[in-house]
Amino acid sequence: MKITDFSQPIRQSSKGIIIIFAFNAFKFFKRFFVLFIAFGLSLSKKKSFANLTLTNLILICVGILVVLLIIAVLKYLNFKFHLSKDDFHLSTGIFNKDNTIIPKSKIQNVYIKQNFLQQIINVVSLNIETAGDTKSEIQISALDKPTALRLKSELFQKAKQIDVQTEVTEAENVFFRVSIKRLLLEGISQNHLRSFAIIASFVFGLYYEFKDYVEELRLRERLEDIVHLDQESVLNIILLNLVGILAAVIISLLFSVIKTVITNFNLEVIENQKTIEINKGLINKVSLSLTPSRIQNIVIKTNRVKRYFGLHTLFVKQAMVNAKQRKNFVIIALEQQQVKHLVNKLLVNYSGKSEAFKPKPYYKRIMALRAVITVGLLTVLGVLIFGRNFWWITGLLLILSVLYVWIGYKKAYYKIDEDYVSIGGGVIDTTTNILEINKIQAVKLRQTIFQKRHKIASVFIATASKTVKIPYILENDAKSIANFLLFKVESQHRDWM
Amino acid sequence: MDFTNTQIHHDTLPDIDDVVLKPISSQYIKVIIINKLLLYTVCFGFLILGKFMITKAGFQNNFWLIISIVFIFCVINFVLALLAFRKRKYAIREHDVIYAHGLIVNTITTVPISRIQHIEESRSWLSRQFHLATLNIYTAGESGSDLSIKGLPQHEARQVNDFISAKVNENN
Repeated sequence: MKITDFSQPIRQSSKGIIIIFAFNAFKFFKRFFVLFIAFGLSLSKKKSFANLTLTNLILICVGILVVLLIIAVLKYLNFKFHLSKDDFHLSTGIFNKDNTIIPKSKIQNVYIKQNFLQQIINVVSLNIETAGDTKSEIQISALDKPTALRLKSELFQKAKQIDVQTEVTEAENVFFRVSIKRLLLEGISQNHLRSFAIIASFVFGLYYEFKDYVEELRLRERLEDIVHLDQESVLNIILLNLVGILAAVIISLLFSVIKTVITNFNLEVIENQKTIEINKGLINKVSLSLTPSRIQNIVIKTNRVKRYFGLHTLFVKQAMVNAKQRKNFVIIALEQQQVKHLVNKLLVNYSGKSEAFKPKPYYKRIMALRAVITVGLLTVLGVLIFGRNFWWITGLLLILSVLYVWIGYKKAYYKIDEDYVSIGGGVIDTTTNILEINKIQAVKLRQTIFQKRHKIASVFIATASKTVKIPYILENDAKSIANFLLFKVESQHRDWM
Repeated sequence: MDFTNTQIHHDTLPDIDDVVLKPISSQYIKVIIINKLLLYTVCFGFLILGKFMITKAGFQNNFWLIISIVFIFCVINFVLALLAFRKRKYAIREHDVIYAHGLIVNTITTVPISRIQHIEESRSWLSRQFHLATLNIYTAGESGSDLSIKGLPQHEARQVNDFISAKVNENN
């Protein structure tokens, strides 16, 4: 295979025509979706539309498709890019010619993605993201994979490093590849309440969208008929409710598992010389790279069940990533050892071995207050809706809230060493937040007048991507932490990115 | 580069407690009062409008109750706003900007000057009448880490703005 020369203006792979065509056609049909439904309806009624016969209509459709195809070809022909020493050049446009130049140093992220169609015809798309708003993103929609990879590495190659990096980049090894079994386990141990909420909101959304239609089906009356038949015994009602709950649980579980498998299929973590690459996805394949200098926070999450199976999730928060991509910077199903290795790779000199301090018992009081208020509100609501019997559930909730306070306090701690702050917490989940001190953007001390009497305060530490909280510690400790962090940031003059 | 990183005892670090925080301009309390009164007027305006427009018995019978609840709420809100005014303080140190505010929830935010992306001075119509200005300081962090110091005397805001801008440019 011949190696593409990026210094001359080149077009993307000729398969790009298909991608552009499909994309445009999809957009076109989406925009005129309502119109098409109107077409279809009147066709089915009158066999013609606006005095046009069926053949004419088909001809019009074919005509539109041909026009779209021609546009796709022209777009393809006019889409040229090349690399100079320091910049990426792109010229686009059929009638209005656009010439975009991006300095290599301003490129924030380069993603390689592959959607379903691209997987079939075996091309990938390359997205170049610069700082600034989301519109500044550039997409090259069809490149064969080796070319895309080479382009990516060349884009990241700063002008001054050229001679150093050309040979070293090949030293990469696959550090972690998820197995189907672990993926399924991860799906099963997911927070199913969240899945249930998503499904519930989706169903309600659908219901409101097609309210009239559903009402036409007289679903309710039919349902009432069924319930009516079963009303002979109380047992049947309970059974019906149980079946309903069971169905909800199973659907949520399936949803969690399928979602996990689809987004994380074939998850692969590749270790390069300096960066770490994540590849994953079944229908939409994504490939992302993590650069240590850009990482602001790292969050490690697990829970009781997951820890039993040895499953840990690593969230990496980078600066200057657009909102759509942010959720992709997650590596699931890692062993404890692997988490440790990755953290060490991404955070230089992180030991996490310094002394752990706990928040003051005042934290328990706050959590208890929160729990009591929540339970109180729920009880008022519950009694109003379900009647007196709800007291049983209140009792249960109170026991749960005692557990909540106890576990929440047990898991909370904070550690501060020379370069890093780590904060642990969580109730059902066990989370560990790690941030590098020189990435701090602002430090906030917060104290309510109730806390003032007890000499308690909280510290909020903001980086470019997340704010974390050291909750309810002694006022003096809070102040000396703030002093220490500020001293570190201000005395070192190190860049945060 | 000669870089040393000797252990520093925590007592010798510059302490936030040692900083003398400067109150914002006392003129600003007038701006707060006018803004609050406007808000209350709108609230009561809507309530009184409701008295004539809504014919539901539930609303009409409890009208005075609602009015008094809103009134008590407004009075508490007003008193708190006045008391909290004295808590609005700021300081500029060599390397950072400090802003403290809040009576019930007191917050002291510190932003290192090296982390400031840009700074702007804005003046609303009302503030202009009292020769006041607001200083907005933006960092790259989440919106939570941005600072907005309201009610500075105009010349002081200009000075601070110039000082910080110069510092930020120097760092770059």
